[in-house]
Amino acid sequence: MTTTSAHATTRPGLMTRPRRVIVSGVAAGLAEHLGWPVATVRVLLVVLVLAGGAGILLYLWLWALTPLRPADVDDDSGVRRAVPGAAILVSLAGVAALVAAIVPRYGLPTPLVPGALETVLFALAAVAWSLGFDRSDPGRSARYGVVVRSTAAGLMILLGIVLLLREPPALTAVVAVLLIVLGSGVLFIPRVVTLWSEVLAERAGRVREEQRAEIAAHLHDSVLQTLALIQNRAGASSEVARLARAQERELRDWLFAGTGPVSEDLATELREIASEIELEYPVRIDVVTTGETTVASAAIVAAAREAMLNAARHAGGEVSVYLETSPAATDVFVRDRGPGVDLASLPDDRLGIRESIIGRMLRVGGTARVSPGAGGAGTEVHLHLDSEREPTP
Amino acid sequence: MTRVLIVDDHSIFRSGLRADLDDTIDVVGEAADVGSAVAQIAALEPEVVLLDVHLPGGAGGGGAEVIRSSAALLDRVRFLALSVSDSAEDVVGVIRAGARGYITKGSSGAEVSAAVASVAGGDAVFSPRLAGFVLDAFGAVAGEQAVADDELDRLSAREREVMRLIARGYAYKEVAADLFISIKTVETHVSAVLRKLQLSSRHELTAWALERKLL
Repeated sequence: MTTTSAHATTRPGLMTRPRRVIVSGVAAGLAEHLGWPVATVRVLLVVLVLAGGAGILLYLWLWALTPLRPADVDDDSGVRRAVPGAAILVSLAGVAALVAAIVPRYGLPTPLVPGALETVLFALAAVAWSLGFDRSDPGRSARYGVVVRSTAAGLMILLGIVLLLREPPALTAVVAVLLIVLGSGVLFIPRVVTLWSEVLAERAGRVREEQRAEIAAHLHDSVLQTLALIQNRAGASSEVARLARAQERELRDWLFAGTGPVSEDLATELREIASEIELEYPVRIDVVTTGETTVASAAIVAAAREAMLNAARHAGGEVSVYLETSPAATDVFVRDRGPGVDLASLPDDRLGIRESIIGRMLRVGGTARVSPGAGGAGTEVHLHLDSEREPTP
Repeated sequence: MTRVLIVDDHSIFRSGLRADLDDTIDVVGEAADVGSAVAQIAALEPEVVLLDVHLPGGAGGGGAEVIRSSAALLDRVRFLALSVSDSAEDVVGVIRAGARGYITKGSSGAEVSAAVASVAGGDAVFSPRLAGFVLDAFGAVAGEQAVADDELDRLSAREREVMRLIARGYAYKEVAADLFISIKTVETHVSAVLRKLQLSSRHELTAWALERKLL
């Protein structure tokens, strides 16, 4: 065989078990490892089983000690077993229960009804197989598992009741009670476990929430106050105040996360731009927003950013940003209290206002007006953009 | 001299603010929680109370509880809310309880002093953010004004204009210049808006207040 020679030249790898298997993949894995046909390996194992059960030991030993082959990237991780082990075991349990139910009542050498213990073993094995193997097997539905486990439990309870009704000898009675107890256990324990873990999870969640609220309250009372005080004492546009303000904003965002809308609307964008600019320039930008939130139009965001940057660079101090979004239009006002700007006297190479603000707004069909602020102090930039709407007939 | 009581649960903040306020202000006392604040207000009857929105003690109602407990004195004592958070939701509770205005704790000593002077003079102090909230709460931006028929539930066109300019960062003086009206008229409009904010039963306001058990 060609594969054998290939194996001979290189160091043989560890034996691994494949993920698509008949029962457990031991035979297939062994055959691949040795380079033998799978059928040969299977026959050999069966022969060894006849030799005093050595085959079973070898099988279990290999199963326990060989690793699974790593899963392919696009493949699901579970092992697919072709043989419905749980169903077979339940069937065996059914046969054993049948035997136990129809054997004659008396006249047996042992006090134990034949088939009763076997029923317990097979049924429990079926449940174990169902829970241990089938749950991670993508080829088996959850419904299949439930049917297998309920059938196993039902068999045990039924047989237990039948045996008890016969007024059995002591040992059989013990086994019958055991059957009923185990059967009920299989039926109800999963539900109890689910309930219990839900209760635990809920409790843990509540504790986390309480802790968070406590931390938030504490930070609000101590750190935020201190940061406010620092800004208060250091003067609005000093370096220290700006750092304190940025920290305050960050902390507040974290503390009250989840209470506000997280979507990327125009208001959020303007606030983010404001906090970025505050970090770089000695300026305090107050952003006020009204109206319903809208999706940010790139042009108005960029123009507003440029206006805020200009205000921060040339005016500093306090800058007010006001956003108003009505169903008909979006308006952004940026005002500073700096020396003011005269558009006509600006050199031609100053592209900031002419291109980045006015030109940009004109291109998207809006308007931009740069004028002295109220009372002739400072500058106010007004960006206006009508909402895009369906042309009404 | 304006007689002022500072109510805040942080001694550092109280002493810092006290040192920062200018000469026109006479700080007659300090209080750190709801109970002592109510007692001091009754005993001292200051002209203006600088009131922190979040306060320990009492029934847990904070600044709003102090105002409600001192309701009998409201025509002599004026309240100016101080808040560390500029979210208007935090502040509208004390405004609706009866405060005459609100400023953030980040404001400088001069700003606080000026605000105290306006409040002492019977005017309302609106920050840009509070003006923005008012516009939202009264549906002035969304254009649903016409639906409200109760006069308390809507802003007049002029009041809306004034609120918009304040939200844009204009001082009263600048608002007056921009609208060609006197500063006194601006103050009248602002006071009218404050009254509506306190008395309106508009859906947004009541829902908001109910949620926080203020009604």
